[in-house]
Amino acid sequence: MSPKEGSRFFKKQVFSRPILAGILAFFFLLLLGFYLLFQRYQIIREAEERGMINVMGLVEQNLNHLLKDSYSVALSMALLINDEGEIKNFEENAPLLLKQFPIVDDIQLVPCGVIKKVYPYERNKAVIGYDILNDPNTRKEALKAIDAKKMYFAGPINLKQGGTAVVGRLPVFKNNEFWGFSAVIIKLENLLELAGLKKLTGEKYLFQFSKVDTETKKEQFFLPKKINSEYQVSETIVLPDGDWKFYIALKNPKESFYELIPLAFFMLLFACWLSWMVILLFKQPDRLQKLVNAQAGELANSELKFRTIFNQAAVGMVRVETATGRFLETNQKFRELSGYTDAELRNMNFKDISHPSEIDKNVSLMNQLSTGSIREYSLEKRLIQKGGNIVWIKLSVTPLWKKGSSGNTHISIIEDITERVFAQEELAQKEQRYRALVENGAEVVTIFSEEGWTLYSSPSGEKLSGYSEAEIKAINLGSLVHPKDFKSFQKQIQTAIQNPKQPFLGDPIRLLNKAGEWRWAESTITSLLDDPNINGIVGNFRDVSEKKEAEINLNRSYQTVMEQNRRLLNFSYIVSHNLRSHSSNIQAILSLYNTTSLEEEKLNYIDLLSKVGSALNHTLDDLNEVVSINTNLDLNVEPLQINTFIDKTIDLLQMQITKKGAVITRDVPDDMIVPFNSAYLESVLLNFLTNALKYREPTRKLEISITGYKENEIWVLEIADNGVGIDLERHGDKIFGLYKTFTQTANSRGVGLFITRNQIEAMGGRVAVESEVGVGTVFKIHFK
Amino acid sequence: MRESICIIDDDQIYQLIVKKVVERTGQFNSICFYNDGIEAFEDFKSPEYDLPKLILLDINMPQMDGWQFLDSLIAHRPNFHLETIIYIVTSSIAHSDRDKAKSYKEVSGFLSKPLSVEKLKEIAVRHR
Repeated sequence: MSPKEGSRFFKKQVFSRPILAGILAFFFLLLLGFYLLFQRYQIIREAEERGMINVMGLVEQNLNHLLKDSYSVALSMALLINDEGEIKNFEENAPLLLKQFPIVDDIQLVPCGVIKKVYPYERNKAVIGYDILNDPNTRKEALKAIDAKKMYFAGPINLKQGGTAVVGRLPVFKNNEFWGFSAVIIKLENLLELAGLKKLTGEKYLFQFSKVDTETKKEQFFLPKKINSEYQVSETIVLPDGDWKFYIALKNPKESFYELIPLAFFMLLFACWLSWMVILLFKQPDRLQKLVNAQAGELANSELKFRTIFNQAAVGMVRVETATGRFLETNQKFRELSGYTDAELRNMNFKDISHPSEIDKNVSLMNQLSTGSIREYSLEKRLIQKGGNIVWIKLSVTPLWKKGSSGNTHISIIEDITERVFAQEELAQKEQRYRALVENGAEVVTIFSEEGWTLYSSPSGEKLSGYSEAEIKAINLGSLVHPKDFKSFQKQIQTAIQNPKQPFLGDPIRLLNKAGEWRWAESTITSLLDDPNINGIVGNFRDVSEKKEAEINLNRSYQTVMEQNRRLLNFSYIVSHNLRSHSSNIQAILSLYNTTSLEEEKLNYIDLLSKVGSALNHTLDDLNEVVSINTNLDLNVEPLQINTFIDKTIDLLQMQITKKGAVITRDVPDDMIVPFNSAYLESVLLNFLTNALKYREPTRKLEISITGYKENEIWVLEIADNGVGIDLERHGDKIFGLYKTFTQTANSRGVGLFITRNQIEAMGGRVAVESEVGVGTVFKIHFK
Repeated sequence: MRESICIIDDDQIYQLIVKKVVERTGQFNSICFYNDGIEAFEDFKSPEYDLPKLILLDINMPQMDGWQFLDSLIAHRPNFHLETIIYIVTSSIAHSDRDKAKSYKEVSGFLSKPLSVEKLKEIAVRHR
């Protein structure tokens, strides 16, 4: 495989296989990363080892120094022995030496292997006399010193006097003769401290020291922490003076390795990410190719769709040259609508089939589309078919170019809306017709809410209420209804609400118009609250004021006629009764006369007859008076001041008043002027006052009070007395009747009140009476 | 056997005439007159008062008319009609009066004036 071929293969196999490329990149990166990590690890390890060698160097130096010091002490002690083998000045020199060399804790002089002198004494007195050459534990090392003839450090051993310590024994020879040992005791703790092991090893290092048995070659360790020899990264010092071995090791030898783990992990991630990027990068061309293919397919598809839609659409579609308005393409539906063939339309312009009145507007819109000021438009217009018929269409135009760019064709969608337009026109006509009916009708149509707020009021409402539609909307309907009619109106509305869609005709009600007058209206209420189009109560109001007024007037006339009729009946009864009583008397007398033969008796009957005649005459006079009151229609009526007439009447009756000791009090305003016939007024006043004087209560002083006042704009004259009174329960209905008297007073004829009442009523007034037996009577005249 | 009769009427002339008529019938041994219903009622209301055998009652009277008299007496002596016979005698020919008279079980008849001797005799005989 030549390089050229290789590169081709690579291109072919790798570039076309993004995943393979990704995996290769991943491993490559991983290897590179780990190589770098390994390098780094090595550097760290080297640094650590260097650090330990340095520490060990220092420790070794320190130990050597200390051992030398010990040797100096032991030697100094040996010098205290004179040639005779005697110890001189031990007690003086020992403290001085200990003070000078703090490494040494205790001092012993051991002649012939038996401990003889110790310092300090107290601490070591227990071992005095102890023979170290006889003890197998110490003997071997003691002999080793003697053999080597130099100082040997034994131990560490557990001391008899307590603690662990190293014992350095210097064999002393006098005259080439073994004298004994000069020994120094160094406490192990003290030794390690002063060697700087604790200080130097600190946190980071582990420390150990051992002694190799010279015979067995076995190594004995003295410190509790064991150094794992497998992973140890250690340095050792070997001290020959005591066959000691010092070790140093990292406390956490794997720490540096662990430190690199996050970095390794990061490397892994980085490799992953980068390889993924490689995959993506290698995939890109393929993706683009696929996209191109898909879009090409879509384009073909959408072109097909467009064709199908264009040709098969249920609406007319046309492609038009925007600048000229020429048809470029038409669909089947449009050809049907216009009546032209495809070939014909190809040579035509949209103007050829447009209604002339709409061409300008359409051209203007097309120009706006072309300049880009609008993006689309729709228009309702008329189309002239081939046969000359006109159809209504809805035109919707969309340009075939993107916003911002320019183009020269657009698509027009044409819908036949002829039916809709006609339906709309018809609807509008109908609406207009109904509106005209509602608005011009005399009947007011209102729609109001359940709470009485007007939602709509036809224009005729203004005629009835005087308020405009806007004004009436601000007024609650309830406030316009007369309080006396309110309940029945409310009931009518409630009935309507309970029976939706049924009209309910109510009694006529009074409505307050803007001018403050009450107008009578008849209403029909229909609840259309359920009807979403109305959502209110429909009230049809008709102004029936004229009708109602006429009805009221009619009723009033009827009352008047009835009253007159009643009076006439009463009168005819009186006439028949009174006249018949006389005629029956005459009949009876004549019958008696005819059946007697006695002259004297006959004369008697004649005399009776003349009495009947005179009574009959009297009756006829009375009746005449009554008839004249009721029939005299041309009576002179003028405004009369009541006070003037009261004065006149009192004058006339002055004699009687004085004689009977009556007291008359008056409270009649001077402006009390009423329309009345003067003769009647005299007669009325005279009658009431005469009655009061006539029917007085004999046991008390007669008091008559005359009061005039206005009641509901009507003048009222009240004549009250404290006379005998009338039992109205018994006589109420006939107190003003003819020939009725209510007292046993001799001269009452029962004509006065009857005449008086007729006179007052003839003047359009009325009279009422209040009375109580033994208390008095009050007559009230209500003038017209 | 002759009976007592009582006339209640405010017409003085009629009273004179009726007196003659009663005398001519020869059926009554005593006759009394009242000018008004109230006067008769004052006498008759007491249960101890001996009622006349026959009463001729006018309707139209000033203070207490015939109807009021009947109502008052019924209120005071509910069973007075067992002791006496009442006839309405009036110059009224109104149907309303005649009908009203029929509604009273205490009233035995309704007569229009003038009252003849024959008629009174017939009544006297009928209730003998």
